[in-house]
Order: sequence, then C-alpha cells, then structure tokens
Amino acid sequence: MSMVWPRAATARRIDPVTASVIQGALENIAVEMGYKLMRMSYSSIIRESADFGAAIIDAQGRQLCESVQSTPLQSGPIPGYVRGILAALAARGETLQPGDVIMHNDAYAGASHGPDVAFCVPVFHEDRIVGYSVTTAHHLDIGALTPGSCGIVNAIDAYAEGLQFKAIKVYEAGRRIEPVWQILRANIRAPDLVVGDMEAQIAACRIGAERYLDLIRRYGLETVQAAAEELMDYSERLMREAIARLPDGRYTATGYIDGFLDSDDRAKRELPLVVTLIVDGDEMTVDLTGTAPQVPDRPINMPFEGTVDCAIWLTLRSALLDSAIYGHIPQNSGLTRPIRIVAPKGCLANPIFPAPTIARFCPGNQLADTVMKALAQVVPRQVSAGIGNLKVMAFSGLQGERHWVHMEIFEGSYGGRYGKDGMDAVDTLYANTRNNPIEDIESHLPLRVDRYELRDGTAAPGAWRGGVGSIRSFTMLADGGVSVEGEGHRFRPWGFAGGRDGTTAALIFEPKDGQPVALPSKLPHMPARAGDRFVAIGPGGGGYGDPFTRDPQKVLDDVLDGYITVEQARTDYGVVITPQNEVDMAATAALRSAPRGG
Amino acid sequence: MILIGVDVGGTFTDLVLTDIGRGITATHKVPTTPDDPSQGILRGVIELCDRQGVARDKVDYIFHGTTIATNAVLEYDGSPTGMITTAGYRDIIHIGRHQRPQNYSIMQEIPWQDRPLVRRRHRKTVSERCVPPTGAVLTPLDEEQVRAAARALKAEGVQSVSICFLFSYLNPAHEERAREIVQEEFPEAFVTTSASVSPQFREFERFTTTAMNAFVGPKVRDYVSNLETRIRSADLKANLRIMGSNGGVATAAMVSERPVLTLLSGPAAGVLGGAWTGALSGRRKLITFDVGGTSADIGIVTDGRFSEATARDTWIAGYPMLVPMIDVHTIGAGGGSIAYVDAGGAFRVGPRSAGARPGPAAYGRGGTEPTVTDANVVLGRLDKDNFLGGGMVLDEVAARRAIAGLAARLGMTELEAAEGILTIVNANMANAIRSRTVQKGIDPREYTLVAFGGAGPLHGAEVAAMLGIPEVIVPPYPGITSAVGLLTTDLRYDAIKTEFQVEGAIDLAKLNADFAAMERAMRAQFAADGLSDSTIRFERAGDLRYVGQGYELRVAFPAGNLDEASLAAIWEAFHRQHEMEYGHRFPEGRIEIVNIRLTGIGSIPKIDKPATPSGTSVEAALVRTGRGVFRVDDELKSLPTAFYRRDALPVGAPITGPAIVLQMDSTTVVPPGATAVLDAAGNLLIRLGGAA
Repeated sequence: MSMVWPRAATARRIDPVTASVIQGALENIAVEMGYKLMRMSYSSIIRESADFGAAIIDAQGRQLCESVQSTPLQSGPIPGYVRGILAALAARGETLQPGDVIMHNDAYAGASHGPDVAFCVPVFHEDRIVGYSVTTAHHLDIGALTPGSCGIVNAIDAYAEGLQFKAIKVYEAGRRIEPVWQILRANIRAPDLVVGDMEAQIAACRIGAERYLDLIRRYGLETVQAAAEELMDYSERLMREAIARLPDGRYTATGYIDGFLDSDDRAKRELPLVVTLIVDGDEMTVDLTGTAPQVPDRPINMPFEGTVDCAIWLTLRSALLDSAIYGHIPQNSGLTRPIRIVAPKGCLANPIFPAPTIARFCPGNQLADTVMKALAQVVPRQVSAGIGNLKVMAFSGLQGERHWVHMEIFEGSYGGRYGKDGMDAVDTLYANTRNNPIEDIESHLPLRVDRYELRDGTAAPGAWRGGVGSIRSFTMLADGGVSVEGEGHRFRPWGFAGGRDGTTAALIFEPKDGQPVALPSKLPHMPARAGDRFVAIGPGGGGYGDPFTRDPQKVLDDVLDGYITVEQARTDYGVVITPQNEVDMAATAALRSAPRGG
Repeated sequence: MILIGVDVGGTFTDLVLTDIGRGITATHKVPTTPDDPSQGILRGVIELCDRQGVARDKVDYIFHGTTIATNAVLEYDGSPTGMITTAGYRDIIHIGRHQRPQNYSIMQEIPWQDRPLVRRRHRKTVSERCVPPTGAVLTPLDEEQVRAAARALKAEGVQSVSICFLFSYLNPAHEERAREIVQEEFPEAFVTTSASVSPQFREFERFTTTAMNAFVGPKVRDYVSNLETRIRSADLKANLRIMGSNGGVATAAMVSERPVLTLLSGPAAGVLGGAWTGALSGRRKLITFDVGGTSADIGIVTDGRFSEATARDTWIAGYPMLVPMIDVHTIGAGGGSIAYVDAGGAFRVGPRSAGARPGPAAYGRGGTEPTVTDANVVLGRLDKDNFLGGGMVLDEVAARRAIAGLAARLGMTELEAAEGILTIVNANMANAIRSRTVQKGIDPREYTLVAFGGAGPLHGAEVAAMLGIPEVIVPPYPGITSAVGLLTTDLRYDAIKTEFQVEGAIDLAKLNADFAAMERAMRAQFAADGLSDSTIRFERAGDLRYVGQGYELRVAFPAGNLDEASLAAIWEAFHRQHEMEYGHRFPEGRIEIVNIRLTGIGSIPKIDKPATPSGTSVEAALVRTGRGVFRVDDELKSLPTAFYRRDALPVGAPITGPAIVLQMDSTTVVPPGATAVLDAAGNLLIRLGGAA
C-alpha cells in the first residue's frame, strides 16, 4: 500500500489547507523556472540584470504565479503575451499540440516591447490544454537598425525596431522548426548569445510545464484549478480591501518626460503624462486622458498592454500592498481585477500600430512615478517623493566579423519616504535589475569602468532626504559605438510635503581628444573611439517633508558622510555644524525659528 | 584519545564527550550564558569530565561551534569599521548591485544601506588600480594616501580596517602593502584584506565579505582568546578547534583572523551530525532535516560528501557572503512557528515564531497564539507528561484554547485546524527540500531523511511521505546532533583562485602552477597547525560555466597535474553537471574555468560508534496506549496510539504506527502505515508505506 499523505484529490470545495499547500507549490515552480533561466543564460542583461520573467498561466490566460527573481516589467505582461498568442493563432486557424513552443514579441498584441521575446509552452493534460508555461527575456539584439536593443531612439516605426514575431512556432510537436532558427541566426547580431538565451528560455519553460503537470497529477486538475481560483480571489480580495480604504474621489497628477531634447519639433519635447485615479468603493479606474499624443515616428510610445498596465499595477501594488508591511502576497491576475485602465487611442500610452515603441522603458517608469504622485494625495505615508529615472546604454563593436554588445542599465534613486530617507542609487519602481560587476565587465569586454560611486553634496533636502544618485563612467578600450535611452535630464524628481525637488541626471561625453560635451537623454547610435569616455550622472530623488524639521543629528550624519556640505546643512536644513563636527544646538534652534525666505 | 564537542545554542549549551580508548560516549547540557558563552562552556566541560571520571588534562581536543560572529551580524553589533578602497569606487558596498531586495515595496529597507558595515565617512579612497586579465598595475599605489587614511581612521575611532581594492584577486600586492602601512600606523587595529578573505571576482560581494570580516573580527578574536585563557586556567590542555561554515574545523588562530568563516558553523555541524548518523546505518544518500523552535535546516549528503553553497546563493542577514559554506537551506518553520489567518483570509504557518519566550501556548508561559507545537499537543502526538523527559509539563488546555481560536476563524473543528497546521508546515518543509533536490536533478526518493533537532522527529515521517522518501532515520540523541557533528569533522581549509581560462586556449602550465602554489601554502598552514603530511589530503575542483554565462557550477578536478585528457574529462563532466542541474546542455558552448579551488583536509580523531542499545522488549518499552489523531484515507481519525520509551526499545523489534517514541530531547511520530525499528547503531529507522 502506498500512503497519500496530503488529502486526496477528490475534495469538491477547496479547503484553506490545500489552498495554502498548492499555492506554495505553484510559487516553487515559478521560482525554479526563474532560477534556472538566470543561471543558464548568456547575456548579462538576463543573468545579471535579471531582465526576464517566468510565470505559469492557466487555460483561461490568467497568471497563477511568477518567479520572484525576475523584474516586474517582465513577469507582469506574460498573461497579455498569452492572450496575444492565442488571438494570433486563432486568427490564422492554427491549433496547439503537445511539444509546441511559440515565440512572440508583438508589442501590439501583449508584448512589452520587441526585444522582450516570450517563449510559451502549452501544458497538456489528458489531451486538453490546462495552462501555459512562459518565460520572457530582454534580448541583447533583435535585428534593429543599430547594434543592441536599447537606444534605438531613431526607429521611425515598428519595422525599424527589429524582427517581429507574431506567435511563431519554433518547435512543432517536439520537432525543431529549423528555418525559423536560421532566420534568427542570420538577422540577429551576437547570435550565439541571443540564441543561447532563447534556448535557455525554452528549457526553463519545459521545466515549468513538467512541474505544473506533476502538480496536477499529484492533486488532480479540479483541485489545482480550485486552489488557483482561491488564490486569485485571495489576491483580489486584498487589493479590493486596500482600495476600499481610500476615500472615494478623483486624484490627478501630471508627470513630465524629457522627450527628444535636441529636437526642433515641440511635439517631440513637450510630452506630459496625465494620470487620474478614480476611486469608487473597492474599485479604481486609472484614466490617462490628457496624456500627450503618440509620437508617430519616435519609439517612446508605450504599449498599452505590457508596459502601461504593468507600470500602473506595480505602483498601486507597491504603495497599497507594500510587501515590507503586508508581507508576501501572491502575484497573480486576481490583483488586477479591481483596477480598470483607460487611455485614449493614439496617445503616448495607447499608440496605434505601427508607431514605434522599443524605447518605452523610461517613459513607462515615469508613468509609474506619476501614478505615485497621484497616490501621494490619498496615501501620503505610503509613497516616496519623486523617483530618479533610469538610463540604458548599449556599447558595441566588432571583433573581426563578430559583434560584441553590452547593455548597461544605470540606476536612479528613490525620493524620501515618511519616516525614511530615499533609497540611494537603486533601480526604481517597475525596474529592478542588477548592475554588472566591474570585475566581470572589464574581464570580458573592451571597456573600463573608471568610476562608480555616489554623488557628493546633492541629496535633496527634506525631513527625510531624497536618495542619492550615482556616477558611473565608462571608457572604451576599442573602437565601437554607443547608443542611449534615458530620462530625467530636464525635470527634477518632485519633492513632497515641503521637501525639495531632487537633482537631474546627465550624460557627459569626454572624447579622448577634445572637450567634454553634455549629451541628451536619448541618443541614437554614435561611433566612439578607444579612449572616449562616457560619464553617466544619476538623478537624485525628491525630498519628503520640511527639511527644517529633520533631526539635526541626521543632518550632521549626512555632512560627515559627504551627502551634503556644512553650508547646505545651514541653508537647507537650518542646522549649524561647528568646526568640531558637532551640532550647535542653540544656533540651530535660533536659525530654525527665524523667519525663512527672503 | 578524549574529545569534547560543545555546541552553544540560544538556550542550552550541548556537550558530547567521547573517550576513544574506553569506548565511552556521554552527553551533557547546561544553560547557555549569553553574556559570555565561555562561562557556560567551561562549566559544562568541567561537569562532564567530573561525571565521567576524566582527568581534565587528559582531554585532547575541544571542538566548538560558535554563534558569536553570527549573532554580531544578526544583531548588527560589530565593531566600528573602516575601509580603504580604490579611488573612484568609494561606495561599492553601499550601491551593491543596485537592486532592491523587494520588487513590490516603497517602504522596504536595504540591509547594506540601512545597516552599513562601514559608514561612508569611514570609507577612504587611495590612488591605485590594477586591471585584468593579469592584474597589471595601471595606477601605482599611493602609499602616502594609505598612511593618511590609516591615521584618519585611527583618529575617527574605528577598531577594524578592511582593505578592498579592485582586481586584488588577480594581484594582491597593493592590498598587502596597504596592510603593512596600516599596521605600522595603527598597530592595534584588526586589519583584513579582500584578497586574503576571498580572492575571487565580484567586487560588491568580495568587499562586503571583507567588511563583514572586519566588522565581526575584534569580537570573535577577543572571544576566542578569552575562551582559550579560561580553558588554560582550568587545567585543560586540550587543543581548541572551531567549527567553520565549510563543514570543517579551523584552529583558533585561523578563526581569529578570518571570523567570517564561522558565520554558519551551527547549521554546518548539524549537517555533519546527520551525515555521521546516517552512515552508521550504512545509508549513503541522506537529506539532513534539523528542526528546532524557529527554523528548519536542510542539507544534502551524498556518499559522505555534502554539497557546498554556490557563492552567489550565500547570504547572511541580507548581506551577500563570498566564503565557502555547506549548502544549508534554512526556512522559518519549527515547533514555535505561529499559525494565523492573514488579511486576505488565507491559512498560514510561520515564519514568525513564538520562540522560547513566551513560546507555544502549551509551554504555559503566557503564549496565546497557536503554534506547531500546540497542534502536536492537540492531536495527541506530544505527551504532556513526557516532554523533555518530563522536564516540562505541557499545558493541554492552553494549547487547545489557542487552536480553538484559529479554528473558529477558519470555520473548522479544532482537530481539523490542528491537523491543517501540520499539513501546511510540513508542506513548507517539503517544498524547501524539493528546492534542494528535485530542482537540482536529485531524486529524493533515493534518499533517507535524517530527522533531528527537537522537532525534526515529530515531522520527519510526514514530510518524507510528501516527497516519496521511503525511509526516515532518527538519531539516538536527536537534540544534540550538532554537538555530535562537531566530533566528526576534519581540519578543513579552502583556497580559491580566479582564472578566467577558456576551453581551447587553456594555459595548462599556469593552471598546474597555480594548484601547486595553493597546495604548498596550505601544506605550510597544516604544518603550522601541527599536522603531519600523512594525515593530509587534498581535493581539487573548478567553478566552470559556458562562456558568456554568469553562474558557475562546481566540477571536481583530478589530483595531480592536469593534461589534455583530464581536461576533456572535465569538460564532459561540466556538460553533464549542467544538464543535471538545469535540464539542458549547450553542446556547442565553449567552457570557461572561472575559479580553481583547493580544499585541504587534515584528518583528526573522531567520535566512536555509539554502544548498541540494550532494551529487552517492545512490551517493556510501552509507557501507555493513548489516542492520536491522524489523517487516513482523507479522513481524520482518532486511533489507538502506543507510546514507547526510546531507551527501553530493543534492537530489531519493529513497532507499527501509529506510535509515539519518547525520549529526553525529542519525540518521534511513527504515523499509521509506517513501521519503526531500532538498529544496532542505535538509530530509529522508520519505513513508510507499511513495507517493513
């Protein structure tokens, strides 16, 4: 006899114990997928930056679990990818069978943008599809007009962004579709890395599919489905309760992005993002009406599904169900049910094909920041002041006939928070990648990282100061090229509740023989010579609360740590530091009580 | 030869003495003295010697597992620490990998920013720079700046100085020179360099490890020297050896210099104890399962070899650590884990724990929240009069009251809620084991679960059943398995060197020279420790990956000089390993040797086999027959359940579940359908699935 220890699979109504057990098992599956993808993959953008996603999707296209190692902007869109795949297959009259693997990156059908290619393995149980095991990853190159898959800021339409995959079978019934792979190899720079990463994605999907099937065999399909429903209801309930705690009303905020700072066309420079949160009981509508029209021939348009929705969900969830306070909450489709998103067709946040979208990363994160700015009116103690946005650069060159491509993500920083300073030099909001070790980069690429440290004397004043930005600079050790997509060169991250605005980012080009030049935040591919240097100066987040109320001891600490100067302590914080590095309490009290301004 | 193992826990200090000549093994327990653990240790050692009639000066070795370094980290209570680092890179340990620990949180903390090991004001930069691939000097070391930095740090009142230069793993000369200068200017400081602590690439992780070494350094150094002084003053002549996270022991001098090596010494000793126990019963494939009040530690031992954590998976208190550690997976699930209904209405158990104070409701110390222990009481698995050998009477009423409250919120009966707690906590533990086995290509059904710690034997059989593991071993003294583990170790040192050599262009001469140099250095260390050459052996390995990947896999290298044939075998072993771990191999991929590793093992005496149990009959061991609640065929049933005294059970006579086996430091559950039998080694073997 064999012992079936957890209760058998026949239970009709799911009990809380089984629900809890199956939830743990599902999350374990996604974690394993992510873990293996990360370890197997070749490109640093996946293995180090963790710019990938992994999830199990049910037969109805709903997300059941996601890998915790991944970045939110990768796992979040996966249900949309699956919907896009299924719609495309249905339109073509194609069906799925066991052993199929589908490749997809259509930004107008669920994909986050072109370089984020999904691989999808349908899971069959007793001749029926019971779900999909899916991974997404940001690929180093996707065959766009210039090397790398970032900084393609002069793509004029979706066709200029690289290869488009609209639900393409790369395996059919277990048989590799060789011509597709040949097309990939022939049209992508650094094909060894990219194709290796794609194979790693497929291997991870297959493991996920196998484990999901094991779970179904162990507990029975009905029980797993019932547990999944329970799990989604659970997440939904938490989000509804969180929304219900907010006073009904409309809360609007406007955010700003650089646009193309060097353009003569006003329509490429003045690009407001407008967010209105409409709270009604336990539901919320996020209305983006008022947001700038799409830029038809520049790729900063944001796919509505895959970027805009993820940016909004991420911010709402991080503020309303903050995991530092609420603990771990399963990420699944239930969380998003109470949230409706509206964006007029043809605006920056809901573009019309074939408007290009490949460089939507930074605008999307600014949209997330704008959602937080609107939330700040309702839950001021659950947000940070304005965040510093990111910057992505592609460095590339040729070694003989082969390309080398390196993508580098430069962090931002957070604004101050109620009771806490902003986080220094980290990825912000929907981005959460990892930098590459200097000792790894220099060992494998013709690049030198000359400097990597925090900026001195720039922290935005506040009762809780803004996070400190970083400086990271690169020197080319061989001839090649560089392209850039970034944000935050023009507008300072917003201060909140009396805190000061943060500091802008910058990018300085120091040619080997010539004068330094400030570059705009978006730069199409430019050639660079050995000895040329690029200095990326990261933004500092906004301050939170009146700096004159900051604990003088903390002000002294910031002086000692070089985040502010003695002079800034006096003028910005009203704190007098003696030459012996102590707080002059009497002078501080006098200064702080004197009338300000003027 | 007389050996004593001392494991200092939060509440008790466990001791085991073995007298190899007389064939005696004895155990002892004294309260831990948290302010100065050496007091409790000395008391325990002296009492144990006296009881066993052992003259103190006849004790040869004291093996010690310490949590001094671990606690300093967990409580963020180390020494004021300075850093001297390469100009331009002042904030490597603050920026980290620029990743937030949590995806979905605004209010989160970042350990290395909120609790810096070295505050920014104490991070001084000096001109110097080496570059890959050889560590060539791009910028020479500015010695005057080092001197100025050392003086400044001294004036600022730090006690420790970490020296962290980029690429020092390729060329440690600048760090070594800086160390000399710091020692000249600031002789009383604890000084440590990154290449001496962990000579491998990845600056954030290496610098953090180095800063951690400096942060805990003075504390551990002072503790070890204080303990040695006490030992000497008590007429003990024993050599002190301290357990490292790598599964071996090190000398007091080594630990004083590199305390970071001890951060996981407690759980490591548990894995060794479990491995030794399993081997006594002839089992070669073991999963060690050490469950206490707040956490469960899981380790894998195959053919006497434990797996080692990969450098990128090793963390303590949120800080990454680049030091060799036994792969021990810890989750927050134990006897004190609290069950609750969360805000969304879901039924959860742990990781919050009632700890020792107030402890589970059943302890009667004022705890009211339902815990795993309370569930075991309500289901009749813990005997109220025979807990800790009768040392504590359990409060059944309080346990039931705690569970009843939870049951009401869940709309369940008390028994259903109690059984639900166990199912959930067992599933959490099974998931943790799955992540260390199934996910790494290891089939747990081929393994034996060794269940120990106070609560391991309560849960072992049901966790094993969830994983299809056919057999569970409960050691003779489950509660002191870690202390026993201390007596099974060897002296063990690790060396590592980053190579970055690629298949097809391997410089064999360099590889062989590097291995030889590491081996020479290690032989010298062993000689200094007083070990003769004949007791030393070496194991070689490499960290390999496909060119372009970022994660390495450990592959064993053969002894002796490498040649083309051995390289070919190494490449194939890597492909195989990759396929086993990840389910995929890249046959076209070129392979890179990232690091080479040498482990030196100096054999030292070990604990003897325990005496064969001398119980006479199962009937004589029967304490009473009570009722226990178990789920059988999806139904909760109250079944007649026999309670036995472990020390009265005879060898070879099976008992059938449901049954409970009582002993001083633990309680074993033999579920329905399972049988248990004591073997000659004194282990209790539980066979699941009724196949006796």
